[in-house]
Amino acid sequence: MVKKEEENMAIIVEGRGMALVILLLSYILFYVFMYLGRKGREIPVRTLPPMAAIPEGIGRAAEMGRPVMFTPGIAGDLNDPTQGPQVLAAISILGYIARECAKTGVKLDVFMPIPTALPLTEETLRTAYMAEGKPEEFSPDMIHFIAGQSPYLTAVLGYFQRERPATNFLIGGFYYESVVMGEGGNTIGAFQIGGTANTHQMPFLVATCDYVLLAEELYAAGASISKDPDILGCLRGEDVMKLILIALMIIGFLLGFARSPALINVLRW
Amino acid sequence: MAEVLRREVVYLITAIITILMFIEFFFIGTWNVAEELRTWATIIANISIALGAVRLLSEHAKNIQRRRAGVWPFSIWLWIIFLVTLLSGLAGYVIKQDAMTNPLYNWLFTWPYTSLGQTLYAITGFYIFSAAYRAFRARNIDAALLLIAGCFVILTNAPIGGVIWSGIPVIGRWFLDYGQVPGMRCFLIVAAFGMLAYGFRALLGRERGFYGEVAGE
Repeated sequence: MVKKEEENMAIIVEGRGMALVILLLSYILFYVFMYLGRKGREIPVRTLPPMAAIPEGIGRAAEMGRPVMFTPGIAGDLNDPTQGPQVLAAISILGYIARECAKTGVKLDVFMPIPTALPLTEETLRTAYMAEGKPEEFSPDMIHFIAGQSPYLTAVLGYFQRERPATNFLIGGFYYESVVMGEGGNTIGAFQIGGTANTHQMPFLVATCDYVLLAEELYAAGASISKDPDILGCLRGEDVMKLILIALMIIGFLLGFARSPALINVLRW
Repeated sequence: MAEVLRREVVYLITAIITILMFIEFFFIGTWNVAEELRTWATIIANISIALGAVRLLSEHAKNIQRRRAGVWPFSIWLWIIFLVTLLSGLAGYVIKQDAMTNPLYNWLFTWPYTSLGQTLYAITGFYIFSAAYRAFRARNIDAALLLIAGCFVILTNAPIGGVIWSGIPVIGRWFLDYGQVPGMRCFLIVAAFGMLAYGFRALLGRERGFYGEVAGE
């Protein structure tokens, strides 16, 4: 009877209580560090080598007189809760790449296989070219919409052979196209920068690209470019959360020796 | 005003939808607003696919109109294939409520499309070989360790591994079941935090890339 009353009183879905606590704790930490960052507190962050290499890659294209290619992979439909954010983060990086291309006058070709991300891509490119004072250099023709994984792959491989881009950016949510495009880019001697949070594709990008943004680096790449206090604050918050999780793991490890399920029960709340 | 509409309204819609999804996931309730919104998201996404198709056709129509060198014959071919596939699929759907019942549509999908897709997928094997060769070159101590672990895993999956030495599959399975799992879980956890932080900034309207703006402005 008491249990039934407790069930009726419950407002949180069973098994999701601790996830809610961790989420709220993360949000509080992100907000506090964002606030401190805006107040001028210095939050040091190492320069991400892949982001530092972007101007190098675009400069290479300028010297060679060849285009630059960007694609976010086909895994990330924006409706997808795990893949969608990767595409959004990739489009953020695309904005920076487009600005660098506009500065140096390098031709940028974007292969976008995700229909839902097409308007955002177009808007990002238009804004980037406007920000550099060259709105006339933006054209929707820069974006190649290819639907379907196999046609997309074929189109990119064909583009590699015809246009021979000097630099390829393979950043976003990828499936098996990562290894095909990565190796395809290598056969034409392109300088390649990759990035994904999909663990199943990371090895392929590591093997085929010169620089790779791994996991959270994909989401934090903006901090490396702009030193934005909001992004830096979130990074610091993430670091604190990681320390908390490491502490939980050590406690769980020790409780495991004592055969105590206490921590497991709390996490399952 | 247009700028306000472009930015603030988008921030507001993002925040409201995020809060609704948040409430639905964590709290017990019978309301189905979040479910309705997801349905609408699917509908809007599908409409955007149609828009993409229209854009594709218009681009290829321009190619044909301008006789763009080396491209326009393929643009005609795309128009033909697009119309044949669309009309045959629609015919099947109208007659028997299933596009696959149309023999032409069924043939186009089963033989040319699926076969070509499978061929391309099979080619991945060769790309993985060359990527593995690139990764396994023992240029430094890290690559050498990767090479050793990779050899054990390859020989574990190949029947000859167990014939050479019975310990090879044991070591290979250890790499698969224990050696790589902590590393991959570590990436999963940090990627999840990265995604949380990205979502939080988007929720507050402070992730400029999310709204089509550009970092560094």
